[in-house]
Amino acid sequence: MKTDALIAALAADTTPRVAPGARLARVLPVAFVVSGLMLVAFWHVRPDLAQALTSAPVYKTLVPMVLALAALWLARGMARPEARVGAEAALVGVLGLGMLAALVYGLSTNSLSEIGALLDTRDFENCLVSVPVLAALPLGGALWALKAGAPRNPALAGAAAGLLAGGLGAAVYSLHCPHDPLMYFLPAYGGAMLIVVALGALIGGRVLRW
Amino acid sequence: MPPLDEPSWETLMRAANRGDQRSYARLLGAVTPVVRGIVRARGGVLGPEACEDVVQEVLLTIHLKRQSWREDAPLRPWLYAVTRHKVVDAFRARGHRVEIPVEDVAEILPAPQGEDPFEARDMARVIGRLEPRAAEIVRAIGIEGESAAEAGARLGMSEGAVRVALHRAFKSLARLRERMIE
Repeated sequence: MKTDALIAALAADTTPRVAPGARLARVLPVAFVVSGLMLVAFWHVRPDLAQALTSAPVYKTLVPMVLALAALWLARGMARPEARVGAEAALVGVLGLGMLAALVYGLSTNSLSEIGALLDTRDFENCLVSVPVLAALPLGGALWALKAGAPRNPALAGAAAGLLAGGLGAAVYSLHCPHDPLMYFLPAYGGAMLIVVALGALIGGRVLRW
Repeated sequence: MPPLDEPSWETLMRAANRGDQRSYARLLGAVTPVVRGIVRARGGVLGPEACEDVVQEVLLTIHLKRQSWREDAPLRPWLYAVTRHKVVDAFRARGHRVEIPVEDVAEILPAPQGEDPFEARDMARVIGRLEPRAAEIVRAIGIEGESAAEAGARLGMSEGAVRVALHRAFKSLARLRERMIE
């Protein structure tokens, strides 16, 4: 086929296409709400939710939300092949370093046996499984949205989608989880979000290729 | 730089996004020599025919990824990024390693206008793998120059159905290509 013929055929296909950013804006609120409903239906919210959300433990909801929003910004940028995402990546990096600094602080102010006691509950494994399950829908939605894009590095874009979804999943799960100490939050929520990031990178590396 | 009376590529692409086929054809026509210049500068050793295969692959990718261009951004950086990515990928799939530094792309001169003597073979082969009706539609509109309405009238389909089929055909082409070449 000659190139002119191909051009003529391509030009006839003016089916409107939805930009990756618009797809994200469409799919994420729905995925987030459905994950919230799943939590209410199958996990139940913690009995003292109102009090938790108006006092210090609200950090367990806010920190993952902030991570998710930063990752959303990064993922949206990465969907454009020509975009430089230095600022977006730096923000995610700073937030990650903040988590790491909190971990170091926690390790220096708590003995290992104290931390071990905090994590010695079925809820810890529950968290590592539940967050990825609650993140599954947002992750699928984010990857679907990014498929409309053209990320230069599919695995990294998938990782950004994973952080976005992991953050949303963790924020939802925090409404159920009764454990509030920092040294429970960091290993459990941090670990769970990292699992979703890894899943996003793994799946994204395959499905976001173009 | 285009002459002043020529609409910019951004203007053409925005019009294309609103369904203006003529602007879109014009844009793709203007973009092709630039893409061809980049492909030949990098993969000239493969010969003009294989290069034209890659050019067509890039055009198909531009088409399928055009929604990742943001309308308020300049088009050229987007276009170069897509071209670079696809050219590297296409040559890799054919067992050739090429590297294209970002700054290089913008400086490569377009291939001289008015030469499209090459019947690129890959695309025809891949179109042959489409289901018959989809292949017929792509050929009718591309090679025979029929409009969607004319092709529809001949095939007993509505114009809208032809457009949907054409759109799906391009998505399948991209998938089939990947499988056939790797």
